[in-house]
Amino acid sequence: MNPFVQRITHRSDQWVWPVSGMCLILGFMVMIAQLSDTNFHSRLAFLNPNQKDRVAEGAVDIDAFRELQTEVTSLRSEKTQLENLVAGKGEATKLLNNSLQSTKAFAGLTPVEGPGVSVTLRDSPHPESIKIQGQLEVPPQNNIHDTDVLQLVNELFAAGAEAVSVNDHRIAGPTSIRCVGPTILIDDINIASPIVVQAIGDPKTLEGALNLNGGVLDDFRRWDPDMVQEEKKELIRLDPYSGRTEFRVARVPKT
Amino acid sequence: MVLLPFVAFVVGLLLARFFPWNAVGGLTGQYLAVACLAGIDTVFGGIRSVLESKFNGIVFITGFVSNTLIAFFLAWLGDRIGIDLYVAVALVLGARIFTNLSLIRRFIITRLQDNADRKKLQSIVQATAGAPEPNI
Repeated sequence: MNPFVQRITHRSDQWVWPVSGMCLILGFMVMIAQLSDTNFHSRLAFLNPNQKDRVAEGAVDIDAFRELQTEVTSLRSEKTQLENLVAGKGEATKLLNNSLQSTKAFAGLTPVEGPGVSVTLRDSPHPESIKIQGQLEVPPQNNIHDTDVLQLVNELFAAGAEAVSVNDHRIAGPTSIRCVGPTILIDDINIASPIVVQAIGDPKTLEGALNLNGGVLDDFRRWDPDMVQEEKKELIRLDPYSGRTEFRVARVPKT
Repeated sequence: MVLLPFVAFVVGLLLARFFPWNAVGGLTGQYLAVACLAGIDTVFGGIRSVLESKFNGIVFITGFVSNTLIAFFLAWLGDRIGIDLYVAVALVLGARIFTNLSLIRRFIITRLQDNADRKKLQSIVQATAGAPEPNI
């Protein structure tokens, strides 16, 4: 190779304009083909489950959500203070406010405190692989599932719990608990093991109900005693429910 | 001049942003995404052919248009006849994009190394030309 000979290069810049033009069209296409807020729902249905999970997770702005949540909580407590202030005027308003506050407490919109129990559920720390249809697999009993949490919450209410929270998310009337991918979703909030369920109620009754033979905790204990940790508490404080409370469809009949 | 395609790409993005029917939804959006893949492949292929000095404007433009249309309709056809041709298109085009990009990278690296070598040799030649002829 002789480096002093000028290389034969067709260095005309004729390529720039066609490539640029097609790049412009390409940019346009990419922009209108992307997953955006407007076409998100109509296109999510065509993705496969794995990709759907990734896209859905990427679309959630966790920080903004948490910020809004704390704002809702603080605004609600401010509202309670204002209601108390207004009610200071007369007997009738005081009565009205008392009934309002007890209704709010019942609906889970006020913080509550009292004695109760705290149950911690966690995925089995030493899962044993067993042979399922000739393949080594970790059996599903090693993990905490949405139905387990649902069952536990249900059992606590059945045993007379007056307020329940799961990982500091208060369970209220419209609360839903379900499974999304590897996490459990409580009112659109992702939680994962360990899951702390706190309930206010008579500690003895609650504990007795939970530890019933064949009860909710019995299944876990039989599989792996380390999956459950349960203790009585002198004083538990639960934050108020921070989800939506306004109705979109339902209304209260006039009569 | 070399940066013009990038600028054009960004202009295209912005143009679509201010377009009234922004972001196509549903299945059309899905097919259009495949078409985008074909477009990306063709553009990289074009850049590669420039580096190989065998770029032809007509071939490039017709290639771009026909490739995007073919990708779009192959994906569409796949759903009509119940085969995931969409995956086939994505797979083939993805592989081609990788090949094109790696070839572009090799061409650019070779060119840079060639230039560096040439400069080095030229400086050596200049140094020896300046020095008195060695007596042999």
